[in-house]
Parts: sequence; C-alpha cells; structure tokens
Amino acid sequence: MGIVHGDEMVLNIGPQHPSTHGVLRLKVHTDGEIVSKITPYIGYLHRCFEKHCENLTYEQVIPFTDRCDYISSMNNNFGYVVTVEELMDIHVSEKVEHIRVIMAELNRIASHLLALGTFGMDVGAFTPFLYMFRDRENILDLFEMTCGARLLYNYMWIGGLSHDLPVGFVEKTYEFLDYFEPKIKENDDLLMYNKIFIERTADVGVLPPEVAISYGVTGPNLRGSGVQWDLRKDEQYSIYDRFDFEIPVGTGQMGTVGDCWDRYWVRTQEMKESIGIVRQALKQLPTEGDVQELVPKKIRPPKGSIYKRTESPRGDLGFYIISDGKPTPVRVKLRSPAFTALSALSAIAEGWMISDVIAILGSLDIVLGEIDR
Amino acid sequence: MGEYLQNIWASISSSLVGMSITLKHLLLIRKGNVTLQYPEEKWPRPERNIGFDHKDYNVIRSKLHVDMDDCIGCYKCARACPVDCIKIETIKVPKGTDIGTTSNDTKKRLLVTRFDIDMTECMYCNLCVYPCPEECIFMTGGPNSSKHPIDYEFSEYNREGLMYPFATVTQEEIDRYTDSETPEKPAEKEETA
Repeated sequence: MGIVHGDEMVLNIGPQHPSTHGVLRLKVHTDGEIVSKITPYIGYLHRCFEKHCENLTYEQVIPFTDRCDYISSMNNNFGYVVTVEELMDIHVSEKVEHIRVIMAELNRIASHLLALGTFGMDVGAFTPFLYMFRDRENILDLFEMTCGARLLYNYMWIGGLSHDLPVGFVEKTYEFLDYFEPKIKENDDLLMYNKIFIERTADVGVLPPEVAISYGVTGPNLRGSGVQWDLRKDEQYSIYDRFDFEIPVGTGQMGTVGDCWDRYWVRTQEMKESIGIVRQALKQLPTEGDVQELVPKKIRPPKGSIYKRTESPRGDLGFYIISDGKPTPVRVKLRSPAFTALSALSAIAEGWMISDVIAILGSLDIVLGEIDR
Repeated sequence: MGEYLQNIWASISSSLVGMSITLKHLLLIRKGNVTLQYPEEKWPRPERNIGFDHKDYNVIRSKLHVDMDDCIGCYKCARACPVDCIKIETIKVPKGTDIGTTSNDTKKRLLVTRFDIDMTECMYCNLCVYPCPEECIFMTGGPNSSKHPIDYEFSEYNREGLMYPFATVTQEEIDRYTDSETPEKPAEKEETA
C-alpha cells in the first residue's frame, strides 16, 4: 500500500489553458490552495526544428526560425543571419544594419506589448490587453507594408534583406512613434500603477539574482532581478554600439527586487528605450544602397562551428551552427531564453497560491513555440 | 489605521484613473478604434509600388499563382521551397519543335506536364518567387494585379480544393511528343543540390 497524501491534490493546468500562453502542462501539487510542487511538461508544440534544419539549405532555415518565437520573428531572423554572416565573414552594408535594428526594435515593442497585455489578462485586467493589441497592430501594419507578412516575416536574409524599405515607411514609423509614446504612459496608469495590479504582483514570485543566474534566466526576467545584463551592450553585435540607450533594471519600487511587478516595469521601460533606438536609427538611416548586393549566390559557409547570441525580447537567443562546407548545415541548435525562464518557475512559484502561479507564469513571458521548437 | 485609509484612497484613486482613461476612449470614438465589420468592409491593404523591377517587387503574401505561358520548367522554385509544396514534372520535346516563347523571349524547351502547388503545405515564405528567371511564379495581387486580383481569403470546402494544378498541357500534346519516333525521357531528374 502506498502512502495516501490526504491533504494533497494533483492538478493539471493545461495543456489547453488560456493562462499557459500556448500548450504547456503544469502538474501542480496543491495543499488547499497553496502550491507545493510544480512540474512543467513541455513538448506539445514540438515541430522538429533542429531536425528540419539538417535537411534544409541555410536560407531555407530562416522561415523556420520565424516559427520558433512567433511573437518576435524579426529578432529570430536577426540572430540567425548574424550568426551565419559571422561564420561566412560577410559584413553587410550600413543601410542593411540600420534597417535590421529598426525592425528588431519595433518587433521588441510589439513583443513586449503582447507580453504585458497577456500578463494583465492573467491577473484579470482585460481592457489594457485590448489597448495594447490595438497599438501592436500598428507595428504589424508597418511590417506588412515592408515585407508583406504580418507575423512570420522571413525578412532578413543572409547578407541582406528580402526587400528594401517601401516609400513612406520612415514617415509612417515616425507617425507611429509619436502616437505610441504617450500611450505607454496611459497603459502604465491603467495597469501598472493600478492598486489591484500592484497587490497582485508586488512581492509575488520573487526571483533573486543568484537564483536567476544559476538557472540561466536572461532578458527582462534577469534585469527585473536587478542584474544589468543586456547583450546589446555587453556583447556587441550589429551596430548597437552606436546608439545611446539605457538598460533598465528592477529596483523593487513596489516591493522586493525581482518580483512580478519589477519584471513588468522593466518591459515598459525597455519599450521606451526601443523607441529611442528606432528614432536614432531612422535619423542615421542611409537612403542610398542596394539591400541585396551582398546576398551570396550560393551559401556555403566554410567548415567550422559558431555560437553567437543576440538579445531577443525574451533574452539571450543563441544559435549554434556546425558547417561542413556543404549547402546544408550539419546542425543548428537554438538556445531558447524562454526555456530557461520556464525552468526557473518551480524555484520561484512554489509556496504561492494557484492564482499567483498564473501571475508568475505570465510575468515570465514564455512562448511555447520557442521552448518546444 | 493610517495605512488602512491610505489603501482605501489608493484603490479609489487608481480605479478613478482607470475609469477616466476608459471614459476618454468611449467619448473619443474615431473611425479606426471601433470594430471593423469584417466581411462587409476590409482594411485597406498597404500600398506599395508593384511591378516587375526587383526593387519594388510584390510584397504580398497570399495565394501563389503561376503564369504557365511563361514557365520554362526549370525547377528553381521547387528547389527553393523549404516544404516541397511545389511539384513539377516535365517532358522533353524533340529538337526543333516550337512550343512557344515566354514574355522574356526565352525559348521553351520543356513541356510542363504537371505543376501542382499544395497551398495547405505552403508556409508563405516567398522564397520560391525570387529565383524564378521568368518571373512567372508570384503571390496573387502582386505584378499584374489587374489580371489576378488580391485574394487572401481563398477558402475552400474541401482540402483538395487547395491543391492548385496549374499545368495547361492537354493529353493530346503529351501523346504527340511521347509517341513520336524519337525516344523520350519521361521526366528530367531533379538535380540534388
């Protein structure tokens, strides 16, 4: 006879649950409403990304990277093409670099808007979600204008871009930034400084910096814990050294450093910084030049391997590529920032109530497409 | 006691702030922040100069279309496709047979007997459009959008309806070239990259 834990109940949250942001199953041991143990079960969205890459040429991998983190496809494209370019020793033109940075930062804003909106919805605020999606729509319109697609862009190519910027893009982007800047404050007043939201998130799910580092948590989740780590500044890639921007870190304004509120706050501040970067990049953007002049006819990187990481909206997005000189890679490995964030969930969410676990999961901003790949 | 009152004040004030923001949205309804009555009205598609020049090329991701009059059966699009949703079969015609020229004045040498695009498999990456030497495969609504209007709601009742066979060759033509005295190779083998 086994031991019967009379007080304990095992509860499955998901795989079909609106708060798991995808298809994630959380096996939760509860004692009353207090969660004593959390085990995340992943793999429901596994699409064999790495196996597919072994059979595809280097340029055909790019649409598959789109589908990993489908909320910030531009950043995934960016990470992959930067890695392959370094392996092939291609140095793209100024114009391409600027357009890439603009796209990546706009996508970062779009991604954070979705993250914040769904986080708000997890703790019961529905209106900010609609407002943020409305604003995100404007960014998607800009992308649609540029490359025809709204979510999965396949825009950045190895050595260039699929299209030049359309006529009127710069004006429309300025128009959007002017429109959007006051909206950040409005959304903050509506949700971030709301008393109910503060009560739900401040001091909840505290992720101490040591725990965050030991789990390999990166991105806004790590910065929310007060660690200043941003690859755009700490490990230079592309032309981020030319822009003037701050790295916001959590300070524990409403409670403890590294709580859910801090993670939310860091994302709002990052959107402001991204707006600043886009403005600077638009100002410096060279008008002349062909965006495809350096696209190689045959993409055959030399033998060797490379690991390079870039800062996606969720953290360090790393690509490890092994090449044997053939048109198809031997192996492409993706280091997913959302995966490490999810791995820290059991460390920070145990001991909280079920509704708080949902809030903590929302604050980590995971995308299951990237976790399962 | 002080904290208790402070909390009450914070709750009331923050809900008032929220209410005022939502009230502002209610009062300032413009066209654009109300729901669009979708099937009756649609968002305008982003405008962009479209033409055959590569610089201002079609940027629409919708249904793929092939102008079979211009296709020379070079397999380039099928090879570029990451998901292999383009299936092409060709037969060689005897030397000296005229089966037409494309609009770029390229002489056709292969009879395309099968050109199927499975739009259920298509991932809309647009990679097949770029390598085409005759610029005959494109997403509808792009170049010559007057001929092929923008269509992004290509819904079908059956899955089979999303298989688009583009080949225009009749059985007679195939028979004519396969029955002739010169032995024919049935299909050109796809070159492995």
